[in-house]
This record gives sequence, C-alpha cells and structure tokens, in this order.
Amino acid sequence: MTALYLESLEGLTRLRGVAGAMVVSADDGLVVAESLMEGIPGDAVAALAASLMRRMGTTVSAAGFSRPSFMHLQAARGALLVVPAGPDILLIAIGDRHINLGLARIEMLQAAEQLG
Amino acid sequence: MSLVNFTAREITCKIVYYGPGRSGKTSNLQYIYGRVPQDRRGKMVSLATASDRTLFFDFLPIDLGSISGFTTKFQLYTVPGQVYYNATRKLVLQGADGVVFVADSQARRFDENMESLQNLQENLLAEGTDIRDMPLVYQYNKQDLPADLIMSPSELDDALNFRSVRSFSSDCLHGSGVFETLKGVSELVLQKLAAGAPA
Amino acid sequence: MRALEPWVEQPLMTFLTESEARLTLLMTSAGQVVAQHGFTRAVDIMSAAALGAAIVSSTEEMARVLGVRPFRALTHQGESHGIFLSAFETPRGRWIGLVVYGQDTSLGLVQLFFDRMVDELTQGVPAEGGTKQVLAQDFESELHSSLRALFGR
Repeated sequence: MTALYLESLEGLTRLRGVAGAMVVSADDGLVVAESLMEGIPGDAVAALAASLMRRMGTTVSAAGFSRPSFMHLQAARGALLVVPAGPDILLIAIGDRHINLGLARIEMLQAAEQLG
Repeated sequence: MSLVNFTAREITCKIVYYGPGRSGKTSNLQYIYGRVPQDRRGKMVSLATASDRTLFFDFLPIDLGSISGFTTKFQLYTVPGQVYYNATRKLVLQGADGVVFVADSQARRFDENMESLQNLQENLLAEGTDIRDMPLVYQYNKQDLPADLIMSPSELDDALNFRSVRSFSSDCLHGSGVFETLKGVSELVLQKLAAGAPA
Repeated sequence: MRALEPWVEQPLMTFLTESEARLTLLMTSAGQVVAQHGFTRAVDIMSAAALGAAIVSSTEEMARVLGVRPFRALTHQGESHGIFLSAFETPRGRWIGLVVYGQDTSLGLVQLFFDRMVDELTQGVPAEGGTKQVLAQDFESELHSSLRALFGR
C-alpha cells in the first residue's frame, strides 16, 4: 500500500509548481506518506489540511452540498490542494505560484480514485 | 522531589509505602482513605490484579490543609511487593520525598522483609539517592497477631532498623498505628523542607 | 487554567487556544502537577497526573527493555476522546504533558501545537531563585493539628 501511495505522490510532485504531496489520515491529521521539498513543514500542513477538511465537511454537508470533493486554499506564498481519497485518507498537494491548478486538480482526482 | 510553589504557596510531597508483598501497604492507604473526609482526599487509584494484589501501584492524594501558610498536599503511593515487580517499584520510587517501610511482623516473613529493605536501598541508590538522606520510617504491621507468630517491635528494630529511624507498631486492618506512621513520615518530609533542602 | 509558575501560563494558553484541547496537564516525571486546564478538582488532577506519569514511565522502561529509543509520544484513541501523552526536557527537569482532546480537533493538531508549546516552555524558563525559607518554625504544631483534623483524632 505504501508503494502505491508513494507512486501517486511522485506523480503529483512531477507537475510544474507542485512543491510537495502527502497522504494524510483524515481523522487525526497525521502524515501517512510524503514527498516534500526541503523546508515544507509536513506535520503542520497535514494537521491544518485535515482540520480544515473536517470542518468544511461539516459545514458543506449542513448546507446540503454533500461531502466536499476538492479544496483549494490560496495563500500569499502558495496553494494548498486537498482531495479525499476514500473515507479515511486525504491526498494533499502543496503548490507554489507557478502551479497549474487545473492540471493539478485533474491529477489529484485521478490519484485519489486509484487510492480510494 | 517535593514541589514547592512560592507564588501559589503550595507544597506537594510524594510518600511511598514500600515493603514485601502482603505486608499491608495497600491496607494503610485503604484505612487512610476511609478516615479522611471526602473533600480532603481524591479517589484512591488501585492498579491491581484480579486477585487484588497490587500490580503497579495504589495512589491516594490527600489535602493536609494549610501549614505555615502553604496549602500542603501529600501523594501517597504503594509499590507492588512481589520480587518480580522490581521495574515498577523503581518507577514508583522516582521522585519520592519520604518512604514508609511496611514490614510484616510475622517471624516466618522476616527474610522477605530483609530482602525488600535491601531492594529499597538498591533502588534508591540506582536513582542516585542514599537511603540515609531519605526521610524514612518503619512500620511493623500485623502486631495484633498472636505473640508466638510475630517478632516484637524491639526485635524488629534490632534486626531491620540499622539507622534507628522512627518505627511504629501497627494493625493496619483496624487502623492502629496508621495515622501515627503517616504523621511520623510527614514530619520528617516537612522537616527536611524546613531545613532548606532543595525543593 | 491554573499554573504554579506564571511563566508557564502563556505557552499553555496559546496551546489551548490553537489546539482546542479539552483538558491539559503539565507535570513532572514523578507526577507532580505544574499546570492544568479543565480539571475541576485538585485531587482528581493528582490522580490523572499519577496515572499519566506512570504510563510514560512504564513505556520508557518498555523501550529500554526492547533496546529502542524512548517513545516520543503516546496516544490512546477513544470513540469520542483521545489522550495524548508526551515527555520533554526542560531546564527544570523532565516534564510530561497529558492532553485530552475531543472530536473538534485532531491528534495532528494537538501534536503540532504541543511541540510548539514545548519550544516556548523550554525557551521561556526563568532562572531559578535561591533557596527560600519554606516553613515557619512552628510548622510541626500546625502539621499535628492538620493531621488531627484530617483523621478526627
């Protein structure tokens, strides 16, 4: 399973503008597998992404939109992309300002389907 | 090591009841638990096996109230007596401010008392504490048993109490000597604090 | 929240706000409470501290027996609550943190902000003052009356 995770992560990190990718446990926000450029605080990003996704899931469901299938958080120094890969796992990509969001989204959804 | 907080004016001390298996360490705590008003004690925590032998420790926090303007709390622990639980005994002994050595007065248990006492000395030493620096009292329990089965307090003093520390006769099941022992060790622990020992 | 040492308060407060933990207890490795948040009775805190310190101690001993390095943190995951336990070095000796968290946060967040609190605590330790006089000369009579009151004798 870990090999499959790493394969998916490597596929994502080959994309232009993607500085790192992780598989994260959705419940506890802990890193399951990662492929990150040096200097990216993986633990912090994983915890943040899982927390945001859980809160967003509750709010989005309450608003009648069912579960979120893709989350994009744009910050001044980069982007955080999150896709659920099954009920317990999140696939995360961290992008810089050169990221092609559309391509990254397609790749992530495909990878999530494989993992889920 | 006792925790003294000058801002909050609080003292917390850890007292460990040590001794061979079935000498009455848990009975000491149970008696204390039964006699201390509910608002002055916490829950008694007992990590015991199905047969009620102490597996890890018993724990009873009590609030002594204000002494010299300090809210004074004692944490009473017992250790498991059986020889094979030495690793857990060492853990419980960590940071102790005072020790009550509970000896079984029965003559046939004498060797076990001696072995446990040596074990206490070794475990303190492993933690870097000389037993001579540790506030220590002895309690000779089960003194209520028939005289032909037990050793008298003076015989036990001669055989075990090399340092001539304070010793107390007791019958923990009925409570005699329990309070006196706790008072004795409390005095020693607080005397050490009062003497300006590092807190 | 209650901290025995004022300098512990700010890092603990930040941790509580960021991690959204329900209960937090900081203690020495011998189970003496240094700071707490969320407990209502002092004596219950002591029980929790004694048990937390025992878990950490026994796990460290287990690591020693197995010949591996001490575990950095321990977690117990319940249905609605989790417990996070972690020991860390401070200039005041080895301390242990015990955190109980609910479903409104996660282990990852607790661990993340706990690590930050440890950094702040270890950097913020003030120098210790000299030995202070702890007890008045008449403390023995006060001790006796306290014990008498406690045991009804």
